Amino acid sequence: MKEIKINNPTGLHARPASQLVMECKKFESEITLLRGEQSANAKSIMSIMAMAITGGDMIEISADGPDADAAVDAIASFLEALED
Amino acid sequence: MLNIFKKNTEKKLLAPCDGQVVSIDKVPDPVFAQKMVGDGFAIIPSSNDILSPVDGEIIQVFPTFHAICLKSVDGLEIIVHVGIDTVELKGEGFTCHTEVGATVKAGDKLLTFTPEVLEAHGKNPITPVVITNQEILKSITVLSGTVAAKDVAVTISL
Repeated sequence: MKEIKINNPTGLHARPASQLVMECKKFESEITLLRGEQSANAKSIMSIMAMAITGGDMIEISADGPDADAAVDAIASFLEALED
Repeated sequence: MLNIFKKNTEKKLLAPCDGQVVSIDKVPDPVFAQKMVGDGFAIIPSSNDILSPVDGEIIQVFPTFHAICLKSVDGLEIIVHVGIDTVELKGEGFTCHTEVGATVKAGDKLLTFTPEVLEAHGKNPITPVVITNQEILKSITVLSGTVAAKDVAVTISL
């Protein structure tokens, strides 16, 4: 599990959300994003967009499955590097 | 009567505004054109009110009011996204008429946008209306052409 800050000023709108889903689908594990009490299935674009994650948000990434560690690292790096 | 054995699983999405309905691959943004967000249609608007394409519930309204997520009564998860890269307007030129959790009927007003504001910022107003849980779709037919708001834009079978 990793916590990261969303640096992208426009947050997870349509473009980065769909790129995130594509990245997550490379992994077998279930991947979850958490912000406070709200959680999203990171492989579902509707689930991510429903969270309306904005720039500056702190997001916890967790994963459950055979490649969970690799998934968390990859997704954390992806989200931190977003600049769109 | 044999009708009772026919399952009517044909659903419709209504045009959210007046304009030109086009297939989703015509949207000048690969995220939509390549169906990465979902499958559906797009409309080049010629009116400023964006109406609900389905009966359903509002799941999320983007804080910048340029996009709305809905779930239809038939289980379709839909995003109506007004314009391309309009998140960058940070809400300028958009007014919202609904809220998260609201129940809506097809044709209810969701948003209003000001085309001049989009134009002034160089934003294409083409509006994708996409079903994000596209795996439940058996088929989708886009009725391309000039429409009035609330005309049928797409028929779908599940």
